[in-house]
Amino acid sequence: MPSTLNSDVVIVGTGVVGCLIAEQALDAGLSVLMLEAGPRVSRDTIVENYRNLPPTLRNHWNAPYPPKPWAPHLETRTPTEAASYLDLTGPNAKAYEQGYVRYAGGATWHWAGICWRMTPDDLRLKSLYGVGRDWAFSYDVLEPYYARAEHAMGVCGPGDPALQWPPRTARSRPYPMRPIPFGPGEQRLTDVAATLGMQNLPAPQARNSGVSFDGRPPCCGNNNCFPVCPIAAKYDAATALPRIEAKGGRIITNAVAYRVETNAQKKVEAVHYYDPNRTSHSVSGKIFVLACNGIETPKLLLLSADDKNPRGVANSSDQVGRNMMDQPKLIADIEMSEPLWTGVGPVQSSSIMNTSQGDFRREYAGAMFRMENMARSTLGGLAALEKGLYGKALDQEIRRLSACTARLTVEHEPLPLPFNRLTLSDKKDWLGLNRPRIYYDVGDYVRRSAENYTVPLLKKLATALGATDIKISPEFLHSDHIMGGTIMGNDPSDSVVDADCRAHDHDNLFLPGGAAMTTGGSGNSTITMAALALKAADAIVGQLNHA
Amino acid sequence: MLRVTQTRQAFRLSFLAVLAGPILLCSTASAEDASNIDPGAYIAVTSDCVACHTAPGGKPFAGGLAMKTPLGTMYSTNITPSKIYGIGEYSEADFSRAVRKGIRKDGSNLYPAMPYTAYSYMTDQDIHDLYLYFMKSVQPVERAPPKTALPFPMNIRSSMMFWNILFRNNTTYQPDPSHSAEWNRGAYLAQGPAHCGTCHTPRGFLMQEEASKAFGGGSLGSWYAPNITSDKISGIGNWSQDEIKTYLKSGHIDGLAQAAGGMGEAVEHSFQHLTDADLNALATYLASTQPVRDPADGNLSRFALGRPVSSADRVRGDQPIRSEDNPDISGAELFMGNCASCHNYKAQGSRDGYYPSLWHNSVTGASNPDNLIATILFGVDRHVAGAQAFMPGFGGKKTDAVQLNDQEITKLTKYVFDTYGRPQVSVSPAQVATIRQGGPKSPLLVLSRIGIAGGTIIIALGCFWLLRTFRK
Repeated sequence: MPSTLNSDVVIVGTGVVGCLIAEQALDAGLSVLMLEAGPRVSRDTIVENYRNLPPTLRNHWNAPYPPKPWAPHLETRTPTEAASYLDLTGPNAKAYEQGYVRYAGGATWHWAGICWRMTPDDLRLKSLYGVGRDWAFSYDVLEPYYARAEHAMGVCGPGDPALQWPPRTARSRPYPMRPIPFGPGEQRLTDVAATLGMQNLPAPQARNSGVSFDGRPPCCGNNNCFPVCPIAAKYDAATALPRIEAKGGRIITNAVAYRVETNAQKKVEAVHYYDPNRTSHSVSGKIFVLACNGIETPKLLLLSADDKNPRGVANSSDQVGRNMMDQPKLIADIEMSEPLWTGVGPVQSSSIMNTSQGDFRREYAGAMFRMENMARSTLGGLAALEKGLYGKALDQEIRRLSACTARLTVEHEPLPLPFNRLTLSDKKDWLGLNRPRIYYDVGDYVRRSAENYTVPLLKKLATALGATDIKISPEFLHSDHIMGGTIMGNDPSDSVVDADCRAHDHDNLFLPGGAAMTTGGSGNSTITMAALALKAADAIVGQLNHA
Repeated sequence: MLRVTQTRQAFRLSFLAVLAGPILLCSTASAEDASNIDPGAYIAVTSDCVACHTAPGGKPFAGGLAMKTPLGTMYSTNITPSKIYGIGEYSEADFSRAVRKGIRKDGSNLYPAMPYTAYSYMTDQDIHDLYLYFMKSVQPVERAPPKTALPFPMNIRSSMMFWNILFRNNTTYQPDPSHSAEWNRGAYLAQGPAHCGTCHTPRGFLMQEEASKAFGGGSLGSWYAPNITSDKISGIGNWSQDEIKTYLKSGHIDGLAQAAGGMGEAVEHSFQHLTDADLNALATYLASTQPVRDPADGNLSRFALGRPVSSADRVRGDQPIRSEDNPDISGAELFMGNCASCHNYKAQGSRDGYYPSLWHNSVTGASNPDNLIATILFGVDRHVAGAQAFMPGFGGKKTDAVQLNDQEITKLTKYVFDTYGRPQVSVSPAQVATIRQGGPKSPLLVLSRIGIAGGTIIIALGCFWLLRTFRK
């Protein structure tokens, strides 16, 4: 039976952005209804899914999250599978194989938890360097929301200003927890990088260090942050779902939003969704929030095209789906003669950030360098087996490869480029909805950076670590930071949302999160998405209380 | 008479209810190291006043801690020297009468949630020091905590008089000259200010502490305060005095026991701050108590059961990759998915002891499943010597990140008992549900109201009969 539901605030998506807004709205006394396309699965099921995977699939982060037919997401076990949902084209299609999950709790299920703030300069690329765009506001406006986001999620980080990022900027509040100490590999990298003028900083991370936070336990170093923290020491939005329900929020899972309906006054009236039986339902409300990530949000807006909104909802600017960004990534797999011992602590726990800033950004992209801190035993074991070894020789080779190999990565800041565009594919999914088609080209800004700057530096760093063999990925890869598709700006003619992530075209529609980001910076996007979510939440609460 | 009996029963049951509350809901307000501070402050720490008389995040001793009981919510009182809202107008005699007799300055009775039956043993000197501490060193807080308003008939405080006549001790601690001074000090602390028996001594028909089974173990709310007598099977008779002392100081001994629930709070707020001499005295006294044997224990001590067994062997290789939860999930899978990431795949815990082994563990070796169920539901959060020992709850609070249902906790608890502890223990979803809601629900309100209604009807009938007789 089709149903008609109603709520003050209707939120599509139960990831970090949707959950933060839901709690803010509930705390302000508003009613909240959330729609989630995928299923709601317990942590122990996902943990056991991961452990039941064959070793060859342990590095496929989506493998423990098999999608429901009605809520497909990218899976990468085979090329055919990889081509079965995201329809990717362009010279760097591979660099947009975004690994989000359509599960209640969203992609934070398997994020690393890293929370680098953007810098004041990152928000002013156009005026400082003549490239990209300027944000609608300065860093000072965003700073209090960064602090609130850090306390909402529980981010641990250094108290020493010399180790904080961005450098030489005031923080309104300290991190709620002290930093997680370096493992031996990270310490070594830090020392070696310093000789090249690269400062490896302890990463602020949404992970409990030494103490509990919000009823979640301290990290005990399972080194399992991808693809799931087995003990919820890392914040993920799934941990917020019981709290949202305890506050009176309603969560409907397996509900695939497919149409946003507007009225003659250009207000959103309803969101329509399919249940797994392909029955359509609708939800009406006062404020609507689309927080389905940087791919699904523009897709839903485009799917909602009708007579009133011929180019799609919120798209009078023709910018919906354009400016798709991620940090194009290169990786260097290295072998050393001496042990480095990664794997103690979280899978990522530090990064080199000072390589992301500077006047060179007039010419080419800044970048973040990092060493993955994953335990290498699975990779080492597979590689040793492939060599056909057995017995004692196999054991020795597994040990050697686990200790004496490492992966260095470099993630380049992207520019918002209108030709990097999400459109509706003519290929359909299980429900008959158009799949997202994305054209992606990392652009000359990034290519110049790789050629002149990052790859030479990556090789220097590897050599300084004592690398005897360096294999650099032949093409750009994805960082899973989906940004730009409903870009923010002050001018409604060339942007989709305003400074509060409110659609220029519809004043009761909010599109917060990565898609709203005007530029991407070099760091991981989640903390900025969370800050924008809290800013939007303030606007939503203000707007409803005012009305 | 019917009314009196019903009311007395009301109180014995409400005692159970209110007893559970404060022990479970004690705040995290901390006391300073008591050894260097004035004697009154030290008595306050020993008596653990702060635990119940401080609301979470509130000012010390300002009261307001909500104690949810099956009979309604009770709030601890403001015992700061505020003249309006606290005990600022109390004379030392008033103070003594409240602490040792359970009677407020205005003459009304305290509920025995305040352990005055134990405090009645306290010496005049300690009461004097405690009074001076509260009057001179505690900051007055000019705010009234919420008022306790239990539903009828529990709101009739005066009926506590009957209970007091029967069960309140009326003399201070009398030293036993056949024992050493150290033993006497331990006995005084255990029976008096530290009020061990309040939780660890089982309760009789009228909820009085059963002297013949002193320290033999008692239920309170969701948790079970185990047998701490010197019995070598059921009690702690095999513990060395050093171990007792270490446990009181830290709440943790590898391969024996870890404090949670009320005991975790007692270690946090009180025992960790006691002097070594007093901890030694307590250990000396506890080693000498009358042994109490629980027949359910057979000949197996709860501290020595179980062994390391891999749970991985039982679950790998026969399960699909799932996109929804398996309603038929086994206890072994629940263990692997929820517990093994910290307690390890053989339940051996961590080498540094932060995560205890689940074999050779007081909780999994017990004959009573309450503490294992309560630990899974409510977790552990114990702050000792500036460090936290923490385990998350798995659904005891609706906000817990991981929510296990009654069936799942039943399977998990049974699996842990079977694999790592005492396999004979049985567990049912109904038990889990009871512990989840804070212990057995009291049928008291209904019973007492029926009783009172019955009494009223009898009286009314009597009046009617008299009236008729008179008219004739």
